[in-house]
Amino acid sequence: MDLFANLAHGFVVALSPINLLMCLIGALVGTLVGVLPGIGTIATVAMLLPITFGLPPVGALIMLAGIYYGAQYGGSTTSILVNIPGEATSVVTALDGHQMAKQGRAGPALAIAAIGSFFAGCVATILIAVLGAPLTKLALAFGPAEYFSLMVLGLIFAVVLAKGSVLKAIAMIVLGLLLSMVGSDIETGASRMAFNIPELADGLGFATVAMGVFGFAEIIRNLDHGAELNRDLVQQKITGLMPTKKDLIDSTPAILRGTVLGSILGILPGGGAVIASFAAYTLEKKIAKNPSRFGRGAIEGVAAPESANNAAAQTSFIPLLTLGIPPNAVMALMVGAMTIHGIVPGPQVMQKQPDLVWGMIASMWIGNLMLIIINLPLVGIWVRLLRVPYRLMFPSIVIFCAIGIYSVNNAPVDVILAGVFGLVGYWLIKHDFEPAPLLLGMVLGPLMEENLRRALLISRGDWSVFVTRPLSAVLLAVAAALLVLAVLPTLRAKRDEVFTESEN
Amino acid sequence: MADTMGHSATAKRSNMSVALGIFVLALAPQIFEIIWSLGTIVGWGSGRGPAAALIGHASALLAGAPGAVFGSFGGEAKKLSSDVLLALIYSYPLFAVAILTIFMTIKSPQDYIGGVVLMAVALFALWASSDLQGMRGFSFGAGTAPRMFGGLMVALSAGIALTGLLQDGPGLSHYSWRGPLFVMASILFFALAIRPLGLVVSAFASFLIAAAGSHETRWIEAVIVGACLTAGCAILFPYILGLPMPMLPRFLMQ
Repeated sequence: MDLFANLAHGFVVALSPINLLMCLIGALVGTLVGVLPGIGTIATVAMLLPITFGLPPVGALIMLAGIYYGAQYGGSTTSILVNIPGEATSVVTALDGHQMAKQGRAGPALAIAAIGSFFAGCVATILIAVLGAPLTKLALAFGPAEYFSLMVLGLIFAVVLAKGSVLKAIAMIVLGLLLSMVGSDIETGASRMAFNIPELADGLGFATVAMGVFGFAEIIRNLDHGAELNRDLVQQKITGLMPTKKDLIDSTPAILRGTVLGSILGILPGGGAVIASFAAYTLEKKIAKNPSRFGRGAIEGVAAPESANNAAAQTSFIPLLTLGIPPNAVMALMVGAMTIHGIVPGPQVMQKQPDLVWGMIASMWIGNLMLIIINLPLVGIWVRLLRVPYRLMFPSIVIFCAIGIYSVNNAPVDVILAGVFGLVGYWLIKHDFEPAPLLLGMVLGPLMEENLRRALLISRGDWSVFVTRPLSAVLLAVAAALLVLAVLPTLRAKRDEVFTESEN
Repeated sequence: MADTMGHSATAKRSNMSVALGIFVLALAPQIFEIIWSLGTIVGWGSGRGPAAALIGHASALLAGAPGAVFGSFGGEAKKLSSDVLLALIYSYPLFAVAILTIFMTIKSPQDYIGGVVLMAVALFALWASSDLQGMRGFSFGAGTAPRMFGGLMVALSAGIALTGLLQDGPGLSHYSWRGPLFVMASILFFALAIRPLGLVVSAFASFLIAAAGSHETRWIEAVIVGACLTAGCAILFPYILGLPMPMLPRFLMQ
């Protein structure tokens, strides 16, 4: 019964006018970002972090959360209509969705994507509410050793689920850990790797690095191919949004499977919406009676990944809210948003800030409802936005990012640093390094170091504490097993298969 | 036959240029400090003058570091200067990599160069944290964790470079100059101009500089959109969001 009381409290918070407005803004911005190719969720959340300064914390987090799951809805629109995924999470939706659109069935494709997303969103909301409290209790049993082991597990998950070489992904995480150590040491206050530059004394701003590596680097890379993206827009009017009865029957099991898979992959540290959509599509193709239909406009190929990415986007809040550990880069930025407002993420947030946690959970359901309205009847408006040429969009994004970074600390040096990290990000992309694990390493770095030091201090320098405490030992064993599995040839092939889906 | 010979010759030449690149990378911090120190002549910044920096690094690279290596065999344990440490920790290992590169067949330049550059970053981090305190008994010093992760990263990047030697992979991808140049120029201009010139001028000018990054830009259109965006930002940030920001150039305000 506690659950319902909490949820009811959450709805009271979320339904206050200011929070409703924030939710709407978040959903709108998220859809916009999802629709427009060339600007991602991570860059947007980083860009809007400074904006949330002036807002109350609950409203700020509701808005940022709305951007994340809103982008999952918006991404499907462009994938289906234009065959350009606005988000990495919608890459696989384009395969069958665009084929459906070409066959004149854009309406049902959009409708099924929205219905699937809405259903997945509802399930994920309930899941967060149900799992929140027990996981928080579990988290209270965690000592520093367990926290450290859990973070190791999270980082290993990030490696296993990352695209490409395992070695490169680990290297990116360690680079992120190293970058996180620039600045003052937490315990001794000694200045580390700061070269007497006063702006570095406080460490590298997380938003600065995120904006550089994901915002600026992405822009520079897009300019490589010339600003004009090839847009073969489906020109005919979208007629009839309603899916047929057969569509509904075909897609219901796919939506269910996608939701389950997405929810699981969202909770796992290192997971998130991208891997969820890929995995859901692969699963559908595997278990289909007639796999050759996929890629030719199979409605399951739209329903499953769209439900999965939305479910994952929401369930990835679970580790953040209960354990205080961000499972992916967007959640890492949410940590940044919480710390801006003086909230330390962790198990105590649920007790100390019930308004925040339950308000956010309730707002997700409301946000999903808003999104279905924003996306289905208003789809024409979003499509028109695609006519804005990239040659005008990219300087606007550059300026907006620059002003955003400057306003965090009123420091011009931050802007230059973000620019430098833009070049670093461009170089990383060119050498096939994935920047997402880097960001995760950077966020978890200080937490990991602190817990490692504390654990060793408590155990009086005995490293075996990580394997003698049962919970910690289990976590480390799982991490080790995962790493071994990831380098085994059979699983490697499977993993590559999941990611190559989009290329054929 | 002639064909394969020609192929191996180009491979050797590209190996030489890669080795040369790594060699320059090995000296990059020293070169950077010397260029930076030129500023002290006109009174910018603090730190050593160019002459002192040049002599310090040159003597460290040529004499100081080998001296330290042989000195340590003699059992002398004296504190090494930071220049000598830089040469020892950062430059010498990379020199070795550069020399090795000449004799290797690089199968995947993308991986090999990626690995070597990451190794340089890791070595640099090791040097940067070399002045920090290490373990004190069983408690971590400030420098323990950076050194731990730095060491781990050296090993990982060596692994990546090794896969570049053993496994076939993609070559270097094409870098374009126009986009990065103008976008960076725009960011730099904004950073330098926001304080003295204010939001209106710097945002508008940066917009136009960034727009030059694409050859498809139509200037009339860009000017109109830039003006609208500047106006929007000038209202959004200071008034709606309440973030204090200089609006107009300082000389106009006085």
